[in-house]
Amino acid sequence: MDRTSQGCPSRWRDNTALKQQHLPAHRLQLSATKVLSGFFVTGTFCLGVGIILILSAKSTKEIEINYTNICANCAELRENTINFDKECTCSIPFYLPETMQGNVYMYYKLHSFYQNLYRYSLSRSNSQLMGQDIMDVGNCDLFGKTPNGTPICPCGAIANSMFNDTIILSYNLNSSIHIKVPMLSSGITWWTDKFIKYQNPNSNHLPSAFAGTAKPPFWPRAVYELDEEDVENNGLVNDDFIVWMRTAAFPTFKKLYRRLRRIQYFTEGLPAGNYSFNITYNFPVTRYHGEKSVVLSTLTWSGGRSLFLGLAYTVTGTVTWLASFVMMAIYLARKERMTVFPQQ
Amino acid sequence: MALCAKKRPPEEERRARANDREYNEKFQYASNCIKTSKYNILTFLPVNLFEQFQEVANTYFLFLLILQLIPQISSLSWFTTIVPLVLVLTITAVKDATDDYFRHKSDNQVNNRQSQVLINGILQQEQWMNVCVGDIIKLENNQFVAADLLLLSSSEPHGLCYIETAELDGETNMKVRQAIPVTSELGDISKLAKFDGEVICEPPNNKLDKFSGTLYWKENKFSLSNQNMLLRGCVLRNTEWCFGLVIFAGPDTKLMQNSGRTKFKRTSIDRLMNTLVLWIFGFLVCMGVILAIGNAIWEYKVGTRFQVYLPWDEAVDSAFFSGFLSFWSYIIILNTVVPISLYVSVEVIRLGHSYFINWDKKMFCMKKRTPAEARTTTLNEELGQVEYIFSDKTGTLTQNIMVFNKCSINGHSYGDVFDVLGHKAELGERPEPVDFSFNPLADKKFLFWDPTLLEAVKMGDPHTHEFFRLLSLCHTVMSEEKNEGELYYKAQSPDEGALVTAARNFGFVFRFRTPKTITVHEMGTAITYQLLAILDFNNIRKRMSVIVRNPEGKIRLYCKGADTILLDRLHHSTQELLNATTDHLNEYAGEGLRTLVLAYKDLDEEYYEEWADRRLQASLAQDSREDRLASVYEEIESDLMLLGATAIEDKLQQGVPETIALLTLANIKIWVLTGDKQETAVNIGYSCKMLTDDMSEVFVVTGHTVLEVREELRKAREKMMDLSRTIGNGFTFHEKLTSSKLTSVLEAVAGEYALVINGHSLAHALEADMELEFLETACACKAVICCRVTPLQKAQVVELVKKYKKAVTLAIGDGANDVSMIKTAHIGVGISGQEGIQAVLASDYSFSQFKFLQRLLLVHGRWSYLRMCKFLCYFFYKNFAFTMVHFWFGFFCGFSAQTVYDQYFITLYNIVYTSLPVLAMGVFDQDVPEQRSMEYPKLYEPGQLNLLFNKREFFICIAQGIYTSVLMFFIPYGVFAEATRDDGTQLADYQSFAVTVATSLVIVVSVQIGLDTGYWTAINHFFIWGSLAVYFAILFAMHSKGLFGLFPNQFRFVGNAQNTLAQPTVWLTIVLTTVVCIMPVVAFRFLKLNLKPDLSDTVRYTQLVRKKQKAQHRCMRRVGRTGSRRSGYAFSHQEGFGELIMSGKNMRLSSLALSSFTTRSSSSWIESLRRKKSDSASSPSGGADKPLKG
Repeated sequence: MDRTSQGCPSRWRDNTALKQQHLPAHRLQLSATKVLSGFFVTGTFCLGVGIILILSAKSTKEIEINYTNICANCAELRENTINFDKECTCSIPFYLPETMQGNVYMYYKLHSFYQNLYRYSLSRSNSQLMGQDIMDVGNCDLFGKTPNGTPICPCGAIANSMFNDTIILSYNLNSSIHIKVPMLSSGITWWTDKFIKYQNPNSNHLPSAFAGTAKPPFWPRAVYELDEEDVENNGLVNDDFIVWMRTAAFPTFKKLYRRLRRIQYFTEGLPAGNYSFNITYNFPVTRYHGEKSVVLSTLTWSGGRSLFLGLAYTVTGTVTWLASFVMMAIYLARKERMTVFPQQ
Repeated sequence: MALCAKKRPPEEERRARANDREYNEKFQYASNCIKTSKYNILTFLPVNLFEQFQEVANTYFLFLLILQLIPQISSLSWFTTIVPLVLVLTITAVKDATDDYFRHKSDNQVNNRQSQVLINGILQQEQWMNVCVGDIIKLENNQFVAADLLLLSSSEPHGLCYIETAELDGETNMKVRQAIPVTSELGDISKLAKFDGEVICEPPNNKLDKFSGTLYWKENKFSLSNQNMLLRGCVLRNTEWCFGLVIFAGPDTKLMQNSGRTKFKRTSIDRLMNTLVLWIFGFLVCMGVILAIGNAIWEYKVGTRFQVYLPWDEAVDSAFFSGFLSFWSYIIILNTVVPISLYVSVEVIRLGHSYFINWDKKMFCMKKRTPAEARTTTLNEELGQVEYIFSDKTGTLTQNIMVFNKCSINGHSYGDVFDVLGHKAELGERPEPVDFSFNPLADKKFLFWDPTLLEAVKMGDPHTHEFFRLLSLCHTVMSEEKNEGELYYKAQSPDEGALVTAARNFGFVFRFRTPKTITVHEMGTAITYQLLAILDFNNIRKRMSVIVRNPEGKIRLYCKGADTILLDRLHHSTQELLNATTDHLNEYAGEGLRTLVLAYKDLDEEYYEEWADRRLQASLAQDSREDRLASVYEEIESDLMLLGATAIEDKLQQGVPETIALLTLANIKIWVLTGDKQETAVNIGYSCKMLTDDMSEVFVVTGHTVLEVREELRKAREKMMDLSRTIGNGFTFHEKLTSSKLTSVLEAVAGEYALVINGHSLAHALEADMELEFLETACACKAVICCRVTPLQKAQVVELVKKYKKAVTLAIGDGANDVSMIKTAHIGVGISGQEGIQAVLASDYSFSQFKFLQRLLLVHGRWSYLRMCKFLCYFFYKNFAFTMVHFWFGFFCGFSAQTVYDQYFITLYNIVYTSLPVLAMGVFDQDVPEQRSMEYPKLYEPGQLNLLFNKREFFICIAQGIYTSVLMFFIPYGVFAEATRDDGTQLADYQSFAVTVATSLVIVVSVQIGLDTGYWTAINHFFIWGSLAVYFAILFAMHSKGLFGLFPNQFRFVGNAQNTLAQPTVWLTIVLTTVVCIMPVVAFRFLKLNLKPDLSDTVRYTQLVRKKQKAQHRCMRRVGRTGSRRSGYAFSHQEGFGELIMSGKNMRLSSLALSSFTTRSSSSWIESLRRKKSDSASSPSGGADKPLKG
């Protein structure tokens, strides 16, 4: 009792809007004008965006060739692990009916390859990949060390399963002249990946930097032999490696492989004509009932040839418009009958 | 404090020897120290943690934590659970600690009260907690009794002492206790110090009205009864001092034994929440099973082949086992459907609401300087669901102050006051009160506003003089004059005190009395009347008379009593006056005043002598003495001459009728449970407009046997049925009511029936085979009044309604007699600012005025309920939207328990990103301004019907959550599956997907809370925008180079935010998701507003329209009702005091004077007093309880 009686005078003076629940506030009211105009605006916006997206997606060109079965003999060969060191190449001719204008990107696409499995996606060592501690095989589990205890670099299931087909696109001017389409392997990764997340250990001589580590079991060569021509693209900062290491969200995914270097015949893009993919078939997919394709595509501001977003926007816009008309009709019909308390 | 906690084996009997602490210590009786606190510093942590882990939710999260430590199934890092868990445990622990601190404080305050204890022959000040069994303590006037005492002696003659037991049983009239004769002489300390009697008595129990024991002293045995006991919680009144021997102390006292352990109250929302959480567990297990089966199938079909790239874990030997493990992994991932922060957030919100109650200046009583206090912080939303209010009367509805308000003398009514406007003026606006300065003996506190009455007295109007003469003579008040002119009246009932005081101020000062005389100062001259007889009051007679002989030798009988009784015994010559007086009486009764009719009769000497003879014979009769006396009395009290009538106002607390009217409009049923008499209770029922004359019928149940009660209840039901049939058939009537629901909000709900039931009938009605019948009848009535109920019965009634009605009950009271009902009801409210604090201590909410109840329920309760419901809906929604995404993702990641989000996001989502906006809504939201909820009490109904959060609403929230999660997953999935970034690199990497989904989730739930928040204060703005800002800040920080450099294996998302959120496609995805998730909600709400608006929508819409019209708003007008003819008689008087006076037992007289009156044995009068009292308690008058209205 003492507490309350002493407390009350001060409490009495302490009479703020907050304590009396009188804070100035905006009362949210779903008034007809606000809601209906909101719906119209949203509908218009969605329709507009949708149409723009569809149009721009339509303007892109894309060619996808699934070569799992085209290179059936190679696929069969790769079924058996014993043949891992036997080379197998395969050539896939195709005809490009129209010129692919602008930048052209080449992707490889894997079907039913689960890069998003929980244990798979964790099976890596970031500290090793950033060159901090080459011997740290943290979460790599089964692919952490060789049976004799040597740490693997780069360790883990992700690195071990790296896509290792080589795809070369050649332009067949006629039956005898085959021009290798010039491709760039740089600029296909995020800057942050290339310069922060992946770093080679500090050393002038790459092979010695990786001394004391073993190559991943599925790899034909060591990490410092990935690209011996370009030091900037060798070891852990190899672009193909970095692209692979950025795991996909879904079992079917495409990853950027090369981009067109616009010189000579190809300053405008890929001219129409006969082409062929020359593929060194290393990556076995039939073993897990997967498939692989190669994709050529041009781009616009909204990305590739994906109609989904544009369609979704168009549908949403249309439905919103329809809904707003229905709501307006209902509102007008009910407006007269809306109950208002009589003035007392 | 540890001393208090001692456990002892149950006692068989209690022995206490006065002034012998060593002897008493052998028995290790409980000390007088009270402990209600739970912890001390050492035990706090273990005990509190133990208690907290008894909560299912906490144990569940502990279990999850253990699961997460198993590497094979751990799909989330341990910190995703431990961080929130520790946070939750800490907040709860801090709250418990604060609560307990205040309990310690209040214990200390009670334990440290001072009392005077006789130690080694000297009176010493001791704290209450140091008082031991066997101590003799001294009490002074108006002090609380510190422990259960055996009264030894007192300042009054014969060891009498007066106590008020309102704290214990709620009865407001004073009670007499008497010391046994041998000890009553122990008046001074030296004698008391030598007193070494030993009491052997029953062990501690909770029976308030029984005590049996024996005092052994000087080789003699004296039997002791409840009449000799002063119980803890009583207050000493009209007695200067008394000494008592402590028999029971502290927890053994009857008061504490009655109070019992405080039950932990849960609200219905709590219970619903627990059920829902259990359902969610079930749902969680189902999802786990589905995903586990999916995993087993996937591993069997795909996973086995995929082993080239990802071999199974060593422990996994089959697809089936993998599925089993994945079940547990998914349980861990999906555990966020059971939101860990739910319970703690609910507590925080309730705490906020409690503070609003504490702070509310409109519930602050200036006069008593007491604010409202939410003593329990866990029941707030239940305040918005109350359907039944059980109210005590005295001290709650009334102030227990009687005021002489009006009178009718010889056909002229005095006492009306009008202000300029012709309205009955409020206290402050009244003109100056009548000046009584002519009378030196006047009581300064007495106020009267009608000067004409005093003029009449001064003019010497014989009727007026006779009127006040009667009031100064016909009563059982004792006077005390400490100094010349300082008169104190000791009235047994406040009514009588008010009447005698009125006479005193108007110049008829009752000065003192002896057993045979009464001395009155009439307009300054002392006149001594010879008191010949007191024809005492009782419940059947409803009147009392005195027969006096004035100095001139004339004998006159003065009588006052109930109008129903007295008007029939008037002389026929007074017919004209009778009519005028009757009109006045009706007027008074209509105002809810308690009326008494006054009359006199002249007697001639012979007749009186003869009558006195007969009376003596009747009083000496062996058999049926009572009846004979009654008929003798009846004979003389006839052919009376009417003098007039008095009207006493049993002062209601401020604003009681208005509050009751408003609560009734809000569809809350109010039952009054009082220990008081039926007349008094009914009278108050009328004056506070619970009972009105518009009522079709007031049923009165007073049966003494099971059969009678059953019959009366049956008749009442039949009548109700008949009447509703005559109204038209009940069905159409009901239909009309519902259809006109909206428009009739402001009209009073037609008050149809009321039920008045007596305590002894209630005892039968509450028996197992009749309780349903009783409940049905009572619930069909608009108002129910139970009179003469014991504290236990109060609790039983509440329990009955709780049991069968599934409605939320609220009990409000001020005294210890209400404690049981306060504890039983869902919500207990105590009236604070009174002397006793028992009710407040037991209560969940306390404030000092009944009228605050309307604000507590209609404003605070309603808002609390609304906020809590909105909060819960949103909370379940946001967690389902958040968690179910994992479920959908499971189908695309081989059911491998891969999470969609970064684990930091999972950790922080509930406690950082989305907690504060919803908390702000839960604390501050308002749908309509507070004035509206008072104006439209019907707004309270959704709470009673539990409309805002129930299983249906829950499923709607869940459905909305799942809908959101579907879009949240599949829209980004659709986009990402095909699209690439604008630089040609892949878009659909796992980390970008995670960031996109997380960002759109945070935005969608923020927009949703924005829609749900009806009242956007600066705080809401701050929290909502702040949460979004914090989300992006944390996102960028977590994905920054710096953190990655430090912990490369923990912060794997380096550079993700800046790369992903730079993509227009990603933003287009987020916008689309938001639009698709929110638009249907807006459309739905808009359509509901138009097609099926609920009342609060309409009120808001009205406001909007009004604002546009800039119309002024006027206050709600309440129609005052005027009463029709009925009795306003009510008198809180007890019989037996007349005899007490005539015997002279309670007077300080010389032994000589006394000897002439003490013809009977010294204890006989008190015996008969007690007998009469118990008679009237067990079988109150049938005649008194006649139906009130034909």
